[in-house]
Amino acid sequence: MRVLLRKLGFYLITAWAAISLNFLIPRVMPGDPADNLIQQFHGKLSPSAVQALRVLFGQSDKNMWQQYVSYWHSVFTGDFGTSYAYYPSQVSAVLGQSMYWTLILVTICTVLGFLIGTSLGMLAGWKRGSWLDSLVPVTTFLSSIPYFWFAIIIVYVFAITLKWFPLSGGYAVTESIGMNAGFIGSAINYAVLPAATITVASIGGWLIGMRNMMVTTLSEDYVRLAEAKGLPKRRVMYAYAARNAMLPSFSGFAMSLGFVIGGSIVTEVVFNYPGIGTVLFKAAQAADYPLMSAIFLLITVLVLIANLIADIAYVFLDPRTRES
Amino acid sequence: MALQPAALAEAETVSETPDGSEGSVGPARLLRRLLRSPLTLTGLIITLIFLVLAVIGPWISPYDPSAVSDAATAAPSAAHWLGTTQNGQDILSQMLYGARASMLVGIGAAVVTTVLSVLVGVTAGYIGGLGDEVLSLLANVFLVLPSLPLTIILAAYLPHSGSFGIILVISVTGWAWGARVLRAQTLSLRKRDFVEAARATGEKTWRIILRDILPNQVAIIAASFLGTVTGAILTQASLAFLGLTDVTQWSWGTILYWAQVSSALLTGAWWWFVPAGLAIAVLGTALSLVNFGIDEFINPRLRQAGIGTKKAQRGQASVRRRPRRARHQGPAVRRPAGAPFTRESTDAILDVRNLRVEYVSGEVRTPAVSDVSFTLRRGEVLGIAGESGSGKSTLAYAITRLHKPPAEISQGEILYTKPDGGTVDVLGMDEAELRDFRWEELSIVFQSAMHALNPILRIGVQIEDVIIAHRPRMDARERAARIVELLGIVGIPADRANSYPHELSGGMRQRAMIAVGLALDPEIIVMDEPTTALDVVIQRQIIEKIMELKDRLGFSVVFITHDLSLLIELSDTIAVMYGGKIVEMGAADDFYRRPQHPYSRGLLASFPTLGGPKRELTGIPGSPPDLRKLPSGCAFQPRCPLAFDACASEVPRLYQVRGPGGGSTEAACLLHAEGGAKNQAPAETTPNELATGETR
Repeated sequence: MRVLLRKLGFYLITAWAAISLNFLIPRVMPGDPADNLIQQFHGKLSPSAVQALRVLFGQSDKNMWQQYVSYWHSVFTGDFGTSYAYYPSQVSAVLGQSMYWTLILVTICTVLGFLIGTSLGMLAGWKRGSWLDSLVPVTTFLSSIPYFWFAIIIVYVFAITLKWFPLSGGYAVTESIGMNAGFIGSAINYAVLPAATITVASIGGWLIGMRNMMVTTLSEDYVRLAEAKGLPKRRVMYAYAARNAMLPSFSGFAMSLGFVIGGSIVTEVVFNYPGIGTVLFKAAQAADYPLMSAIFLLITVLVLIANLIADIAYVFLDPRTRES
Repeated sequence: MALQPAALAEAETVSETPDGSEGSVGPARLLRRLLRSPLTLTGLIITLIFLVLAVIGPWISPYDPSAVSDAATAAPSAAHWLGTTQNGQDILSQMLYGARASMLVGIGAAVVTTVLSVLVGVTAGYIGGLGDEVLSLLANVFLVLPSLPLTIILAAYLPHSGSFGIILVISVTGWAWGARVLRAQTLSLRKRDFVEAARATGEKTWRIILRDILPNQVAIIAASFLGTVTGAILTQASLAFLGLTDVTQWSWGTILYWAQVSSALLTGAWWWFVPAGLAIAVLGTALSLVNFGIDEFINPRLRQAGIGTKKAQRGQASVRRRPRRARHQGPAVRRPAGAPFTRESTDAILDVRNLRVEYVSGEVRTPAVSDVSFTLRRGEVLGIAGESGSGKSTLAYAITRLHKPPAEISQGEILYTKPDGGTVDVLGMDEAELRDFRWEELSIVFQSAMHALNPILRIGVQIEDVIIAHRPRMDARERAARIVELLGIVGIPADRANSYPHELSGGMRQRAMIAVGLALDPEIIVMDEPTTALDVVIQRQIIEKIMELKDRLGFSVVFITHDLSLLIELSDTIAVMYGGKIVEMGAADDFYRRPQHPYSRGLLASFPTLGGPKRELTGIPGSPPDLRKLPSGCAFQPRCPLAFDACASEVPRLYQVRGPGGGSTEAACLLHAEGGAKNQAPAETTPNELATGETR
């Protein structure tokens, strides 16, 4: 319990640091994004929009501390002002629409990538020295490919040349969003290529990490003892080698997730997928700072939650962490 | 004596380069090692080619990359090797210019990131205390922050920044991982003897860091550097692709940006986007290959074959394959309880004949155990003594067929007497037979229970899974009762079945280990230094427990240790190993009173006896032989005070030596050879010359 509280404390500190960083960046960086944006719109902004902008990017009439307090107020109320890329939508509304697409896509891809990569890595480590070793250079190549380029190739082959799957978007425009079979089927159909891209590109990292840990674990005395005990091979492989070898994957979850998120952002752009990645791309194109900083906050909070879950799972998998 | 598993230590000392010592992993060694692996070499060469192209690219590129021409969206041709863009720009020229920008960002970011990582990591690890806490927290915070979104935000505020801005942004978001790894490494190095020694002599901190700490981290720093190069090139490409860098400056990412915004995909202009992505992927792969080489250098275990492979199966026994017989699944024949062991017993349970174990490295075969034969009788305690590297642990693993490549049993027989009286060769068993034999007939207790018990399984589970595997008919309640019974036998409270190994004390862990070993009432228990890691009081308790259980349950013991006085006390028979061979074997009592081999005498002279008169401890001059370069003739000859001419040329076999009391010992020493040798040196050396315990 104390371990869990400490983990929670760490993530709260990290969240605070990230949110404060988001507050500091526009104020430290050269230029004044708020003034730039206000000028771009030539006075067409409503006073409340200007006010929200000032809260986010710097109010010349208040000191840092007051600005910080009102910034936190807007974080908690979810009021990030008006989006300029999607004018006149509110930032929160834009995110509300796009968030779920990304959340579902990335969750499924992370789970799939982890399961496939870890299983293959387990086998490759268990049978090191066999043909499975050739998985290593292959997956190394796959994971060295930039996600977005892989996406382009996949689109070129499966959408343009073979026409098996739709080219871009998140669902057929003929369907209406909601819990109906037509929409869900269409959403799955549209998600296949982006999901395949992210999954295939992320397998490599899991595979290589798991394989190396597996090889290291296999020379542990307790695996040798399990063998000496005459246990069935599967029991040795799963309960003694793989289960122990998997632990570092959990503690390295943050890094891997960071790669997947980064990869999915650019992948979405290629597929014009209606998720946060595409929105971030448009926001960057339009210099929509409020939207960008809200996206950064949102992604950070989601990543922190995912990491917290991974950490909790780790505590359950490894009894040694439950103390001290 | 080293506390690490001896077989591992032996494997490392005989592998082609003695890199078991992490103490000195210098840059030169790292490079030599990297150049030897073909995959790593390929990676290095590809990386170098890209480097050269990045430097000379602008000079050899055929066109100005931005110059428009009439050849719009032209496929690759002699004039434009990689085709042209929508505006007729030459893609090959863009690629060559782009190589420079991409490599510049990659290497520049890696340099800055690595410097940051080393500064933070080494400082945090070295100073410790509050500074460490703060820096570690900072690194952990940056580690969980998703780096690409942060990079995008930062890049967006530096509109159209050149390479320099991108390098800074990537470094700020990417230093944490390397810092964390280096901090952990520094922490462990700081506790090493040579660093402690330098600190004790008042050496300046920065000198210790430069001279003792950093050189030992070269491999890790190199790995993190190369990883960052790959990461930075990918990140730069992503940023450029998203249009967040200066899109008029050619880089691989910018090429892809223009291909994307010009819908090159839809027009089928594959030559526009294929080269840039391929270049990134190939360079990334090349760098990763180099990194694998470094990984294997840091972690020698990665070079071994896994246990699931055929090769590993062969490693366990390369001797012969017998035609497989149908497995008998009838009720196991229980043998009648044996009479207490006496010296005259002939009831053999395990007969090892001419066993030879070699470590294979390419064409070189190094024998770790050669020509070892002995007989273990029912109820007997056979003690095997020897210095580290003498092959005693290798022997233990060979009996249980637990060797992994590069170790290989190349010769010999291990005959086990089945309950029905017939014998079976353990080395000839197939997988299923071996699984049945293991633990049911022969179990093993390892040196360190801390390492031999799975840290994340409860003690009870680790006993239970043996029972599940071998006694499928027992139900859960019977199994639970058996676990409680076993724990009771070794004196562990029943509720400890639910404890994890780390929750037990050292002595209790070792007793739990013995309980695991007893789970199926085996006939033989091999104990590989079962008490070495414990303090003397606990050691005594454990030994007494083992002896008591042996008398009660009637199993035979192969007890391996370097502790001769302990061995003499508890063994019926003692075998002394030197250089992979048994050099003397005989009843413990005879051995103690009249050691026949000069090495045994030396060993006895270097241990204090538990009782008896005080005497000077002499020890043995010199050090154990290098198994790769065994001296010709008798392996002990260079250290032997009694060596004579023939010892350098003739390998002694085991000779029978009859003692005055009727006892018979075997010794592999030419002093005991029939005829000739005896004339040159008397078999019964004067006791004064080599002090041995005379009485007990």
